[in-house]
Amino acid sequence: MLKPVDSQNPFADPLRFDRRVPDCALVIFGANGDLTKRKLLPALYRLAYERRLPDSFAIVGNSRTEMTDEAFRQKMYESVKQFLEDSPFDEDLWNTFVRNIYYVSGDLNDPKLYTELKTKLDALARPNVLYYLSTQPSYYGPVIEALGAAGLGRSTDRGWQRVVIEKPFGHDLDSARALNARVHSVFPEEQVYRIDHYLGKETVQNITAFRFGNGIFEPLWNRRYVNYIQITAAESIGVEGRGAYYQEAGALRDMIQNHLLQVMATVAMEPPAAFEQDQMRDERAKLLRSVKIMKPDEVSFHAVAGQYRGFREEKGVDANSQTNTFAAATFFVDNWRWAGVPFYIRSGKKMPKRTTDIAIQFNSAPHALFSSDDGRAPRPNLLILRIQPEEGISLRFLSKYPGSGMRLRPVSMDFNYGSSFGERSPSAYETLLLDAMVGDATLYTRQDMVEASWKVVTPILENWTERSFDFPNYDPGSWGPAESDAMLARNGHKWRNA
Amino acid sequence: MPTTALEPEKILKDLRNLWIDLGRENDLAGGVLRACGMTLVVAAEADMDMDALRHTLGVLMHTHPARAIVLRFHDSAGMQANVFSQCWMPFGKHQQICAEGIEIRAGRNELDDVAQLLLPLLAPDLPAVLWCRGPRVFWGDGFKPLHPLVEKIIVDSSTASDPYGALEAITSLRKQGRLVGDLSWTKLTGLRELIASLFDEGAAKGIRNVEVRYGGDMPTASALYCATWIRRSLSVPVTLKHTHEGPPGLRAIQLSGEHDVLLTRPDRTTMEVHCGERVRKSTMLLLSEETLMSEELSILGPDAAFDKVIA
Repeated sequence: MLKPVDSQNPFADPLRFDRRVPDCALVIFGANGDLTKRKLLPALYRLAYERRLPDSFAIVGNSRTEMTDEAFRQKMYESVKQFLEDSPFDEDLWNTFVRNIYYVSGDLNDPKLYTELKTKLDALARPNVLYYLSTQPSYYGPVIEALGAAGLGRSTDRGWQRVVIEKPFGHDLDSARALNARVHSVFPEEQVYRIDHYLGKETVQNITAFRFGNGIFEPLWNRRYVNYIQITAAESIGVEGRGAYYQEAGALRDMIQNHLLQVMATVAMEPPAAFEQDQMRDERAKLLRSVKIMKPDEVSFHAVAGQYRGFREEKGVDANSQTNTFAAATFFVDNWRWAGVPFYIRSGKKMPKRTTDIAIQFNSAPHALFSSDDGRAPRPNLLILRIQPEEGISLRFLSKYPGSGMRLRPVSMDFNYGSSFGERSPSAYETLLLDAMVGDATLYTRQDMVEASWKVVTPILENWTERSFDFPNYDPGSWGPAESDAMLARNGHKWRNA
Repeated sequence: MPTTALEPEKILKDLRNLWIDLGRENDLAGGVLRACGMTLVVAAEADMDMDALRHTLGVLMHTHPARAIVLRFHDSAGMQANVFSQCWMPFGKHQQICAEGIEIRAGRNELDDVAQLLLPLLAPDLPAVLWCRGPRVFWGDGFKPLHPLVEKIIVDSSTASDPYGALEAITSLRKQGRLVGDLSWTKLTGLRELIASLFDEGAAKGIRNVEVRYGGDMPTASALYCATWIRRSLSVPVTLKHTHEGPPGLRAIQLSGEHDVLLTRPDRTTMEVHCGERVRKSTMLLLSEETLMSEELSILGPDAAFDKVIA
């Protein structure tokens, strides 16, 4: 209920009309993979359940495995039933939805696949096509070029052709640039949707609402009032069978380079002039370009790598693996708003609990009138934006402990999504798929954002590639290696291990 | 919960006790989450089916958790109140969400007292909405003392015997600066969206005039709204025409332009769009009261399209 059907349409009523998805087909490369089963199909089914998709909406799956349409439909039926979250499964709806699911098998390197795909799309006659690359990253370039060679990448008067590219977008700055060049040889930037599912999370979108929809926080949102900011994305599980992939990626590439730097950009960016896709993305890109690039000799001071005990015994993992399953870094933003304020970012596997949050620690009161009830200096205010699992916002402040005397104790003012908005928010993939189909790229990352975030992590990557770590260096169930705590302690700060 | 004498402090205390009881009952099952995003005041007749209303509120709370205050008016004097809760377990979750409610029964001539009682019972600092449910509540008695207490008033003009008079009353309320929603307008959202999509697709080009056909003795509020909406959106002549076909209500819309487009409602679940030789069918179900209310509750600020129609 956000965007007008068409701003030129005299009947438009953006307050009440859903954004309308035009007749289109979604082609999923890698349709036999985990992402399709666990996220994409359940999200698409849920959009159909919400009546957000046109009756003519079609899905064409592709993978190497030989399969009939019927067999693919059965697979997707089982996946949706298994992985649909927070929603009941409606057999009648599925029976309607499944009629427009098709399958084309074929090797991504084989030009014949694209000819068959073109034949299928011509037969379906949907004017608009969204290609979703859910394959191994090494196939992104070849698939895009093959689509171009088959004449499948060009938008026409009849309709658009767009491509959604999953992360990782390159494995370093050079490869990201090279991939961008290959993508642009077929799809202009406005047809490219680089997905970062963190940006599709309701709670991440709410950061923008919280900052720019309220008058009271933004005046405090700067170096004068904020002492430091922590962003934590902790997982309690390990690599769960993805050892081979994870060994090549690591926490820095897998989480910090994309998700957490995007979250940081959303937390720290300047207010855009309007809530429009280019203006929002301009501000996020500008912030990422303002992140101070570490000098080589600063890396060991501002970044910590960790690996949990037992990672090297995981299936597909090298016995001497140097992969980081934990990464933490201190970033600074070179602009007037944030100069000197540390942004501590960490992400790790096998941590004590699954949690993603942003903690904004404000400065202490300039003159301490009171002590807290444990006799120590009062704790400063803390604002916590909880991304998952208990989505919400908390503000810690001090309150007088009841009774005689003036003893202060920290208390928390909580906002919980469920308590104000009922039971369900759309999943990130529902939001992002819908956005791509209606042509709204606000929550997608742009080429300059991707390259800027690679630039931020490049010195760390280069340093860590050259070093030999004494891994493993943290126990499963702990908050990472001791060096991570030491990194903050040097500034007189502590991780918020709540 | 027991009946309470009508002191707001006592009712609020009963509410607090209600939550203590709910917490105890659910202590072992993960507790309860207290949900409240607004106050929804429902003004209704005493003979209204309370079970049906509870059901509607129960469904509404899932998307618009609120402190519900149900006011039931009867002919005799005397005020009574009791508190209640609406709980649900979100699909796939382990913690119940509960919203709270207060039911107040009062005589029709005690409206001023009710308004006085209501003020301290509204959830502080959250929006408050008055839903006038039933024909007599809004159209007959004039619940003016309650209007200043709320941000928005929701009515259903289809329950009024004179649709022209109902629309006039809504316009007058809006001119006084009150935000108003009318479920007769809300019922049109699907149809309006369909008409907007025809425009997008180019099927409705160069429209010169429009005919809105209705069944029954006089046009319903929805038919009147629809005609006004099209006229003010396109600035073309729109005629309201009586048809003998079908039951009372909005029956068809004829858009005459480069191509003639006819929208008809052959049955209660379908909308047909005739464009030349082509006929397209769309499912358009009659929406339940809770669906209509949910849409209205999601708009707590000015509604430009509706304002344009009732201006």
